[in-house]
Amino acid sequence: MSRWKRFRAGPDDTLVVSLAPEEMTLLLQLPTELREVFDAPTSDPAAARLFPRAYLDPTEEEAESEYEALIQPDLLRQRLDALELVTGSFTRAVDAGEWREIALTPDDVAAWLGVLNDTRLVLGTRLGITEEERRVADDDPNVAAYAVYDWLTYLQGELVDQLLG
Amino acid sequence: MTAAPVEIREPEVGEETTADRPWMVIVWNDPVNLMSYVVYVFQKLFGYSRKKATKLMRQVHEEGRAVVSDGTREKCEADVARLHAHGLWATMEHDA
Repeated sequence: MSRWKRFRAGPDDTLVVSLAPEEMTLLLQLPTELREVFDAPTSDPAAARLFPRAYLDPTEEEAESEYEALIQPDLLRQRLDALELVTGSFTRAVDAGEWREIALTPDDVAAWLGVLNDTRLVLGTRLGITEEERRVADDDPNVAAYAVYDWLTYLQGELVDQLLG
Repeated sequence: MTAAPVEIREPEVGEETTADRPWMVIVWNDPVNLMSYVVYVFQKLFGYSRKKATKLMRQVHEEGRAVVSDGTREKCEADVARLHAHGLWATMEHDA
């Protein structure tokens, strides 16, 4: 028998994701949290991480301003569209035994990948994640946020592995 | 970047001339993006082979940055925008 998969190929180019009810509850909160970051000024480090500069060279400040004025609104629109697709897919969740299952179209999959990654970027920025191995004390006020981050990392990793084949 | 699910064995990738490609797109290392995701994005956006995408990802991870594409200002801005849309930390600079 093949190994159980989070994301498995379904009919008509879909990927079917299986989620425990409490995992579903967690995912349902993500769009709201991301929208708050989209509304934040770029002085917010998490917002700056989602919408970084294109030019580092200070002599290209004019080009940078143009990038921020002309391109970043489009990037924001793409992210809002992805959020729409993801929240829309949540409404199609069906019961499958102890799991909730959602059949994701290729567009849904791209949107899920983006929203999972954006959420990890935001959480990672807020938590100050580094590449060093981390040790979180039980009484750390961020212990729950680290757990969410790690679970999203796992979920996104499963999705990418499925896509890379 | 984090986690390394991809195994690779790497020959050199040929370098193209940069004479008529005045701008370079740089991707910088960051501690959040998954290595596998970065490979996926390089393949999807630039049509690179798994091997080339993986080599570039490793270069980003190990050296802190890698040139992932080059060309005119317009092309590079478009590439930077697509990388930003996928959450990668990308910038562009003049080819020195």
